[in-house]
Amino acid sequence: MDLDFTPAEQAFRAEVRDWLADHVPSRLPSMDTREGFEAHREWEALLAGARLSVVSWPEEHGGRAASPIEWLIFEEEYWASGAPARVSQNGIFLLAPTLFAFGTPAQQARFLGRMARAEDVWAQAWSEPEAGSDLAALTSRASRVDGGWLLHGRKTWSSRAAFASHGFGLFRTSDTRHHGLTYFLFPLEDVTVRPIAQLDGTHGFAELLFDGVFVPDDLVLGEPGQGWKIAMATTSSERGLTLRSPGRFLATAERLVALARDADPALRDRAARCLIDAEAYRLHTFGAVRGELGATTSMGKVFWSELDLRMHALAMDLLGPAAAETPWFDGYLFSLAGPIYAGTNEIQRNIIAERVLGLPR
Amino acid sequence: MNFAFTAEQLGFAAAVRDVLRDRCDPSDRLSCWKELAELGLFGALVPEESGGLGLSLTDLVPAIEETGRAAMPGPVVETLVAGPYAGVVGAPRVSLLVDGLALDADLADLIVDVAGPSIVSVRLEPRRAVDQGRQPFAATVVDELRVLEAPAADLVRKATVGVSAQLIGVARELLARSVAYAKARTQFGRPIGAFQAVKHQLADVAIAVEFAAPLVYRAALSADNAALSADRAAYSADGKDTGAPVGLSRPDRDVSAAKVAAGEAAALAARTALQVHGAIGYTAELDLRFWLARTWSLSAAYGTTAEHRTRFRQAVFGS
Ligand SMILES: Cc1cc2nc3c(=O)[nH]c(=O)nc-3n(C[C@H](O)[C@H](O)[C@H](O)COP(=O)(O)OP(=O)(O)OC[C@H]3O[C@@H](n4cnc5c(N)ncnc54)[C@H](O)[C@@H]3O)c2cc1C
Repeated sequence: MDLDFTPAEQAFRAEVRDWLADHVPSRLPSMDTREGFEAHREWEALLAGARLSVVSWPEEHGGRAASPIEWLIFEEEYWASGAPARVSQNGIFLLAPTLFAFGTPAQQARFLGRMARAEDVWAQAWSEPEAGSDLAALTSRASRVDGGWLLHGRKTWSSRAAFASHGFGLFRTSDTRHHGLTYFLFPLEDVTVRPIAQLDGTHGFAELLFDGVFVPDDLVLGEPGQGWKIAMATTSSERGLTLRSPGRFLATAERLVALARDADPALRDRAARCLIDAEAYRLHTFGAVRGELGATTSMGKVFWSELDLRMHALAMDLLGPAAAETPWFDGYLFSLAGPIYAGTNEIQRNIIAERVLGLPR
Repeated sequence: MNFAFTAEQLGFAAAVRDVLRDRCDPSDRLSCWKELAELGLFGALVPEESGGLGLSLTDLVPAIEETGRAAMPGPVVETLVAGPYAGVVGAPRVSLLVDGLALDADLADLIVDVAGPSIVSVRLEPRRAVDQGRQPFAATVVDELRVLEAPAADLVRKATVGVSAQLIGVARELLARSVAYAKARTQFGRPIGAFQAVKHQLADVAIAVEFAAPLVYRAALSADNAALSADRAAYSADGKDTGAPVGLSRPDRDVSAAKVAAGEAAALAARTALQVHGAIGYTAELDLRFWLARTWSLSAAYGTTAEHRTRFRQAVFGS
């Protein structure tokens, strides 16, 4: 056991740090506005130009085949530098691992490079008004036609869909609950997209209406009927380290400590306690990267989302009424969603109890 | 960078676990001592040329966790950490005198006053024990017998990491017992573990333990490195490793983080275990009380959870 980085890892850290110091944009407008969305895409194209947009991917798709440790180093530097959240995150962190595992070489060649350069931005179309936690209850259908499928139904709360170019989602192709689902990739141009205003007033997500949208066979991911299995492989990425990298929480904790520097000891104690948890999450990830993610990602999901809430709630206490004028407030609103998306924390606790601890259903 | 235990480290812990499972009786203050001494546990940190195993604290953390898991009584951690300085190999026991209190001093062959540090002879007066397996004594030094070549900070730091590792073990065992009970106990015609309110409490314990343990592992590494290096500055130079410390040295900061997280995880495990067991947990009929008491005594040892929270805050903010 050691916590020292190899000379190669240190050199990688230095390269990333230097590049970010020279290139990170000053605060961009919210990615949930048209203007901000385009600014974020430009930023990610710049990242891609330095081959830093998807460091863990194989070189042929724009990555540099970074090891998991290097990926963690990249993320630490990324968030410490003050760089913005990734507009491509649902694509690169949720769809891409699925494409690598289940996609055909043609699908990989067609989509991964464009995704890495933010030329395509993907939205996840899983939830439906009547199928949130109980995702397998979804009712949107795909019906067979010559050369492909017609999609019907309604998806909702799809992040970034207001401006994204593509979607990936599950549709029912037969009535067997889990085995009747198929995983589709589709351009959003033929889909009716209705932006939904969120708590902060921006259109962070949208409703997708499918009225017989044609999808050719070569945009089915995996085999028809395999959608549930494939989707479950993706949920572990969503809860796990790909999306919620420790660097993000560590950077927030360190900013919180700076914010609390002159506060009274009780508030400083809370900030220090958050730093302990952020460090715990970082160390845990170093220990976990080599192994299976599996159900332990559910533990991480509850841990990071509650830590994020605690940190932002403390920032509200520290800043008082002035908070509304700062990025901390946007962070606070988003942290409130953490226990809801990526599988609610109640559902995660059920998974931990049943699959990790072996309690009866 | 490799934040995982080796097969040897885990193998040693498994050997310790096997002995503890077969032989440890949490109500007998000396049970298992001889068997574990034969495995080499108590001289584990002593260099090989002096007859020990020459291991580091990091090597031993999984084994120490097992002693917590078994609620093994006696001055386990104290003997381990003082061993290399007092020249203790084999079966002798060491008690540490800290702030006027010496734990299990009646069982000890040597008492080390960490203020010296030195081996001392003392007059003892038993104090109320919340935990039958850890008997505290008020100790007054009568004579200083031998001054040790040990940095006192190193002794206390390692003892703190040791009890933190034991707290993790205690918490794991409390969780395992609670889960087993929740599967077996039925009410309203179902195992109580099928009720979501019970499940969620146990899931929270699992999460707390899962994320406290790595902090203890890091603290062990830091304590080992601090002992190896006289140059404290080496630990604050690493700017990116979660920020440069302002007040306390980096190792002390890591040790306090570990004690806080382990203490809180064990407190949650204990509180939840009692709740899940209902009234039977509140009786002396069930062994649960040994682990509950161990949580209380270890949480207070070498600085309470609250004291370490303050120390960590001071390390981060300078005040
Ligand atoms: C900011 C944000 C972004 C999102 N982005 C996307 C996206 O990009 N794509 C997408 O498809 N979806 C997205 N979602 C939707 C998200 O996946 C769902 O909100 C989530 O799965 C929960 O479903 P629900 O909202 O219908 O809540 P419900 O399932 O109706 O649950 C409501 C409450 O009941 C509790 N509950 C439900 N069932 C149980 C149970 N069995 N045991 C205990 N408690 C239970 C839940 O925990 C929750 O507290 C997003 C949501 C948010 C908030």
